[in-house]
Amino acid sequence: MLSFLGLAALLVALFGSILLTTRGISAARSERAQDKPQGEPKGQPEGEPEGEPLVDLKGPVWMLFSGAVVAMVAMQIGLLTDDFSLAYLANHHSSATPFPYDVATAWAALEGSILLWGVILAGFTVTVLRRHQLRPDRLGSAALAVMGGVAIFFFGLMVTVANPFEVCVQAAANGCIASSPWPFTAIEAPVNGPGPNPLLQNNYLMAIHPPMLYLGYVGLTVPFAYAIGALAIRYPGPEWLRRSHRSTLVAWSFLTIGIVLGGWWAYDVLSWGGYWAWDPVENASLMPWLVATAFLHSAIVQQRRNMLQAWNFVLVISAFALTILGTFLTRSGTINSVHSFTQSAIGPALLGFLVLVLVGSFTLFSTRAHLVSSSQRIESFVSREGAFLLNNLLLSIYAFIVLIGTTYPLILEAFTGTQVGVGEPFFNRLAVPLTFLLLLVMGFGPVTPWGHPAPELIWKRTRGPAVIGLAGGLATAVFVTRIGWVVLAVSLGLFVIGAIVGLLLEQSRRRAAKNRESLGSATKAVIATDPPFWAGQLSHVGVVMIAIGIAFAANLGAHLETSMVPGQTVTFAGHQITYESPFQEVHPNRTTRGARLSVTKGDRFVGDLEPAANFFGGGSAGVSTPDVLSGPRGDLYATLLNIDSGSATLTFDTSPLIWLLWLGGLVTAAGGILAVTTRRQERIRDDERQTVDV
Amino acid sequence: MAHRGFVLIGLGGVIALVMAITVTGLSNNLTYYLYPTEAVDQKADFPDGERFRLAGLVVEGSLSEVDDALHFDVTDGGATIAVVLANTPPALFDENVPVLVEGAWAADIFEADTALIRHDENYQTPVEGNYEAPDN
Repeated sequence: MLSFLGLAALLVALFGSILLTTRGISAARSERAQDKPQGEPKGQPEGEPEGEPLVDLKGPVWMLFSGAVVAMVAMQIGLLTDDFSLAYLANHHSSATPFPYDVATAWAALEGSILLWGVILAGFTVTVLRRHQLRPDRLGSAALAVMGGVAIFFFGLMVTVANPFEVCVQAAANGCIASSPWPFTAIEAPVNGPGPNPLLQNNYLMAIHPPMLYLGYVGLTVPFAYAIGALAIRYPGPEWLRRSHRSTLVAWSFLTIGIVLGGWWAYDVLSWGGYWAWDPVENASLMPWLVATAFLHSAIVQQRRNMLQAWNFVLVISAFALTILGTFLTRSGTINSVHSFTQSAIGPALLGFLVLVLVGSFTLFSTRAHLVSSSQRIESFVSREGAFLLNNLLLSIYAFIVLIGTTYPLILEAFTGTQVGVGEPFFNRLAVPLTFLLLLVMGFGPVTPWGHPAPELIWKRTRGPAVIGLAGGLATAVFVTRIGWVVLAVSLGLFVIGAIVGLLLEQSRRRAAKNRESLGSATKAVIATDPPFWAGQLSHVGVVMIAIGIAFAANLGAHLETSMVPGQTVTFAGHQITYESPFQEVHPNRTTRGARLSVTKGDRFVGDLEPAANFFGGGSAGVSTPDVLSGPRGDLYATLLNIDSGSATLTFDTSPLIWLLWLGGLVTAAGGILAVTTRRQERIRDDERQTVDV
Repeated sequence: MAHRGFVLIGLGGVIALVMAITVTGLSNNLTYYLYPTEAVDQKADFPDGERFRLAGLVVEGSLSEVDDALHFDVTDGGATIAVVLANTPPALFDENVPVLVEGAWAADIFEADTALIRHDENYQTPVEGNYEAPDN
């Protein structure tokens, strides 16, 4: 029954997306027929025709959305009622899986994750429709057609090679051997399934990390849809950019949260004490993030100076293409990594779609090249736009290096048959200096005025922060460590924050003196004049926190591997760690064996640590679960490698200041969200802003 | 026009520099993945101390612990190589499990310092005997 319901819902969604594409195209065309002949397309700020759209796009969008939602609901009903007649559940669910992991099982494996992708894509299509209904326009119609086109691909996948609602026709003791897409074939359901990946049942973060990441990933479809829509209707200019910028901010904020949560989860669950390994799966999420970050900056240059429009098209298209490439890399089994995902028929489909996106988009782009070029020339490289250019250059190089490092093994194997891996040192050696250069530009950029500023002004605004940065670096070198990267991270970080605070103080003081108001209310007023700018600076502070957190955790951590018997005490990084006793707990879905440790520092009791290994059913071996004691100075991290009747083999690590990394990630994303929510007010205050922000 | 020429030359220079750094970075940081048959065939290309990754199945009955180091054989169905692993193996390590060990030749023994379990997207080790030999 559920299989039928699910498949029917998917078909409705697929039909809705086909309808949306065809109607969207004809809407964009017929509205053009009404349109007055266009003059110079660039110069028109709001030149969209007003009035009701001739073609109804609401119906198809709601068809797509309700189909996707019903399919997801069917999946959830299956999970909550333990319906093992569905092959997906038979292979990835178990009746012992507790809440909320049973809900999260819906996206714990391939078919389900594509279903989640489809639901989120449908949701974003609704948001595009809502803007379209505010003021019917050809750009919106064309963008909806593109959204529909992307939805055709994903729902097409779900009704063919990645059907989450296949029924099980041949059951094993614990899973499904053969399945069929036809809901009414003879079903043979197993009594129970193996449950989701044990690692996904260890931590609540895993229930939120994938949806966040997908909101970011799929959200990048929206700016892509506006870009392609604008090119298709030969209507570049400020409008597509404004909407793309806004939707990229939304997607980028989610993507930031998703990436940081992924690192946090890896750190808390994977028991190697790290959070980032330059694995293809991680790189797949970083590449679109870097390109989207570049676009968030270069979009401002186009808005303010009418430059870089062609480049902005390239960035938006690339960001979307990279999400498809990332999905291909991680889901096709082509990359020979530790994560090596199973081979599936979805790989060729994704590769074909990627080629279609790239060839289609750039063909369209090149035929419209004469429309998108900007005539504005840069006046001086020592200017805000110059800083933005440098920022874009660095971020593009960054993304390019990650792309090469990630895909090189694939390309080499395709041409020579040799299998290689690109080591972490390759990425670290290039990414670390690039990050520091970006931090340097981040310090200068926001305090550098547009146009042709006087170098004296930049010097005046940066010399104070530079002194603060140097003093902080010196203090770090004297009191903490002489490791160059750590000292540099502190110096540059303080320089960036000092420049932001200095700029805010300078503008607030000037306003306070002019209007005779208190410094506090003047500061509020300055921020209210250009909220997205200051939201962006908040994101910059978040990035600084991440950089300092990584520098400390990566360079100043201590490590110890030791065997202990109950009662024994070791001293590690200023702590006395005593192995109290082994323990064993039996849960419905797993058995946990671990070591109970107590940690003291001098006479003071710090806390208990219980690193353990979880043994799940289904014949899998133990999964180690680390335990962490967090404090303001950093984490004490304990992993159980092996436990016998008496002795336990344990590793201990310290991660100094690692909380800065998690908090910085959230601050960075918060800046993005604030920039979105305050953007509407920005447009009203447009005139005022022009006079203040120099 | 001199302005634009200057910009293009600068950009070209930056791109060339990035390519050069990337290519040298890549060639210095590549780790080869070899199956035991390939490792034996290409032994001349990998002198003692030259690191690579060896992928294969831990032979049943070959696992033993001597002086805090693990000794075991890795096979791909063709050749079999004796491996000594100095560090503690990951949690799922066992006989009949597909592994990826990183290290270098020391005469006829592969001295490894890292071992990884090759697992599928469900992070479950393959069922015993269900090991697929590489297709080459």
